Amino acid sequence: MKVIFVEPDRCLACRNCERVCSFQEAGGFKRENSNIWVQVDLAKRTIFTMTCLQCETAICLEVCPTKALYRDTETHAVVVNEAACVGCRMCVAACPFGNMHFEKSRGVAAKCNLCHGDPECVKNCMAKALHYCDINELAMIKRKRMDRKLAGHAVSHDRDLRI
Amino acid sequence: MNVRAGNPKESVTTLCRMCDTRCGVHIHKKDGIIVDITPREAHPVNQGRMCPRGAAAIDLFYHPDRILKPLKKLSDGTFQEISREQALDEIAAKMLAIKKEHGARSVGVWKGEGVGFFQQEEYVRRFIHAFGSPNYFSNDSACYNGRYFGYSLVTGFWNPFPEFSEAGLILLFGTNPPMCHPPFMREFADARQNGAKLVVIDPRLNPIACYADIFAQPYPGTDGALGWGLIRYLIETKNYDSEFVDRYSIGFEKMAHYAKKFTPEYVEEQSGIYAHVVDDIAQLIIKSRPRVSIFPGSGLEHHENGVNNVRTLAALGCLIGSLDISCGLFWPEDLERRKLTLYDELPLLDQKPIGADKFPVLYELRKECHTMTAMDYMLGKGEYPLKGLIVTAANPAVTHPNTRKVEEALGNLELLVVNDFFLTPTAKLAHYVLPAATFLERSELHYNFKHHMVFLTEKVMGIPGVHGEYMLWHDLAHRLGFGEKYFPWPNEDEVNRWILEPTGIRLEDLRRHSGGYRYKPIRHKKYLTQPLPTPSGKVEFVSPYLKKLGLAEIPHYIPPYHLRHKRKEFPFVLTTGARKSLFYHSRHQNIQRFRTVHPTAEVEIHPQDAAALGIKDNEVIRVVSEMGSLEIPAKIVNAAELRQGVIEIYHGWEEWRVNFVTHDDINDPISGFPLLKGVPVRIEKI
Repeated sequence: MKVIFVEPDRCLACRNCERVCSFQEAGGFKRENSNIWVQVDLAKRTIFTMTCLQCETAICLEVCPTKALYRDTETHAVVVNEAACVGCRMCVAACPFGNMHFEKSRGVAAKCNLCHGDPECVKNCMAKALHYCDINELAMIKRKRMDRKLAGHAVSHDRDLRI
Repeated sequence: MNVRAGNPKESVTTLCRMCDTRCGVHIHKKDGIIVDITPREAHPVNQGRMCPRGAAAIDLFYHPDRILKPLKKLSDGTFQEISREQALDEIAAKMLAIKKEHGARSVGVWKGEGVGFFQQEEYVRRFIHAFGSPNYFSNDSACYNGRYFGYSLVTGFWNPFPEFSEAGLILLFGTNPPMCHPPFMREFADARQNGAKLVVIDPRLNPIACYADIFAQPYPGTDGALGWGLIRYLIETKNYDSEFVDRYSIGFEKMAHYAKKFTPEYVEEQSGIYAHVVDDIAQLIIKSRPRVSIFPGSGLEHHENGVNNVRTLAALGCLIGSLDISCGLFWPEDLERRKLTLYDELPLLDQKPIGADKFPVLYELRKECHTMTAMDYMLGKGEYPLKGLIVTAANPAVTHPNTRKVEEALGNLELLVVNDFFLTPTAKLAHYVLPAATFLERSELHYNFKHHMVFLTEKVMGIPGVHGEYMLWHDLAHRLGFGEKYFPWPNEDEVNRWILEPTGIRLEDLRRHSGGYRYKPIRHKKYLTQPLPTPSGKVEFVSPYLKKLGLAEIPHYIPPYHLRHKRKEFPFVLTTGARKSLFYHSRHQNIQRFRTVHPTAEVEIHPQDAAALGIKDNEVIRVVSEMGSLEIPAKIVNAAELRQGVIEIYHGWEEWRVNFVTHDDINDPISGFPLLKGVPVRIEKI
C-alpha cells in the first residue's frame, strides 16, 4: 500500500505541509488543525516531522467503539466516518505516535486520510522530503542514495590521487 | 464578480507569479471558474511541487476587495467610480499640462513588485522615456539592486540562482529560502544528501538554521567582516586558486593587503561570531572549493555598507575559483531578444534623472532613479519639481523608508495615479486609481537565465473592464501622442512577436513548449575564452570604476551605524523584514488563510531583554528611533532566536508600518539603499 513517509534529512521545517493540511481539515492555516506535524526545537536546533503511518494493525481503529474508523478500500488509509464518530477521543489516546487529534470545530476525531489518494502535503513539499508511495520505495531511494554517496567518495579519492 | 474565462480550455499551464520564483503550475477551471491550482511535473524550477502561496492565487484573483473600476478622488476625499475612457483622458490631459508647465521630467513612473519584472518593467521604462522623462523608479531601489551591484562590480554580472544541488558547501547569508525561495529547499536537500555542508549566517535563527551544520548569528550589518575574515584565512594559508587569480583578476595584492587586519579575533569583535567558528567555516571552504555556493539575501543590502559586504562575498567566490561553474557564480548567457527600453534611442541624460548625480552607480548600471531623493523633488526641494507620478503595483506608503515623509511627498503631487489590485495605503493617497490585472490576466515572455530558458505565458482569465499593463501604457501613449511610434502593437501577442523576432523563435514554438524552451546550451568557464563583462574584462577585486567616482575601490568593511554611533537613548538595534511569513513584502495580507498564521504584526524580542523591561508577551509597546515611532505588540522569542539587544519587525504590514522608524537619510553610497536593517531604537512601555 502507498503511505506518506518523511525523509527527515530533507525537511527544512518550512511548515507548508502543516498549512495545506490544516486548510483541507478546517479551512485555515492553523497548526492545531493539521494532521502532519513539524516539530522544531530552536534551542537544540532539531527538526522532526511526522504524520499518520496508516499502521497495518491500527490501534486507533481497533479501540473505536462505534466503528467510526475504518479502512478505505481504495487507498487503504484508516479514515474517520464523522457521522459515526461520537467524539470519545479513545483513538487520540490510543495512537502511540500522536498522529491523531480531536477536531474541536466539528467535535470529531481527525487524522490523515491521504487526501483520498492525492495528498496535499506531498504536493506542497518543495524540499521533496515527503513522498507518497510504497514504503519499499523509500528503501530503494535510500539504497540509491547510498550508492551515489559512495561513488562520490570514490571520485574525490581519485581526484586526490591525481593531484 | 462577473468573471469570464479568457481561454476555453479546462486546464491551462502557466507560471505562478505569487512571488518571483515563477514555478510551473496548472490552472484548472470548471465552467470558466478556477477550481484548483496544481504543480507542473516537468518544470525545471519546482519539479512537480508547489507552495501554499501559489494556491492562494485563487484568493487573489477572486478577492472581494479587488478594484474593478477606475476611481477618481473627489474634493471631499472620497472616491467615485468613473469609466476607463474618462480616467485615461483626464490623466493624459493632466500629464500634458504638467509637461507644458514644468517639462516632461516633472512626471515619473514607479513600478512595483506586484506586476512583476522583465516585460512588465520594460513597458514602464519605455513609456516614460517616450513621454520625454528619464524618471523611472522602482522597488529595486530598496531590494535586489544592492546585490546586483555587489556581484556586477566584481564579475560584471549577477545570477542569483546557483545550482545548489551540485555544491559541496552552501553558505547562506541573511536569507531564509524556505520562505522566500521555496524551490531552493529541494536543491539544499539534494546537496546535503550527497554529503554537502550547509552554513547559515543570520542575525535571526530561522528553522533552516536547524538544518545547518554551522549556524552563526552576527550583529546586523557585519557580514562583511566575516567575508574578509574568510578571505584572509584563505590567502594566509594559500588555499585559493592562484592560477585563476593571476590570469583572470585585477587587484589581488591590494585585497590581500587589506585583508590582513581581519583576524578571527577581529571578526569576533565586530560580528560577535566566535573566532573558532570563522576558522571552521574557512576549513569547510578549503575542503569543498571550488564547489561552493554562496548566496547573500536581501539581509545584506539594507545597510550603509551593503554593496561592499556583498562585493566581499563575490570576491570570496572568485578567490576560490567558483566563477562560472554550475554551483558557483554561473555566468548566464542572455537570449538575443529585442528590448522594449529606449536607452539607446532616447537616453535623456541631459534631462537629469533624479538621483543620478548622487548615486551614479544606481543610474549607470541599472538605469534607476533614486526613490528617496524623489521624495525631496516631490516636496519642491529638488533641482526641479516632480509633480506627477504613475505608480503601478507599488506601495511606497508602506514599503519605503521614512513613511511620514513619503505620505507628505505623495500628498504634495498634482497628479498621483495608482494602478493596483487593491486600495492600498498608497492608492488611498491617489487622485486616480486604476484596476490592475493579475498575472493570470496577461500574456508575456519569461526568461530563466539559470536554465537558459524562455517561456510564454498566456491569458488564463479575464475580467471585463480590467486591462493588463500593456494596454494601460498603450492606451495612455496613444492619448499622449506617441502611441503610434512607440506602442504600435495592438495586443500582447504582437509585442511578444516583436521581442522574439531576432531570436528566430516563434510564438508558436513557445506554445508547443509550454514547459519552456532552452534557447542556448549551458556552457561553463566561459571566461577562459572571452572577457568578463567588467570594464577590465577580468574579475575586479578592486574597482577602478568606483575609484573614479570617488567611491571605495576596495570592498572595504565599515562597522554598521548602530555600532559606530552607540548612544544611551537608543540601546537596541532593530532589524526589519525577516522573511518569516507567507506575505510577499506588502502583498497578500488580505488573504484570509495567511492571516490565520500571522494575525498581527509583532516586534520580536529576546526573553532577557523583555524581562529587564518588564514586557509581557503580546503587550503593545512603542519602538522609537530618530525618525519616528511605532506601537506594536511584543513577541518574546526563544532565547536562541535573536541576540540580546536585537529586535525584529516584519516590513510589509499596512497597519503596523515599520518604515515610520527606518532611515531614508542614511544610504549606501554605491546603491543609495536605505538603512532598514540596523536601526538604533529604544523601547518604551505604554
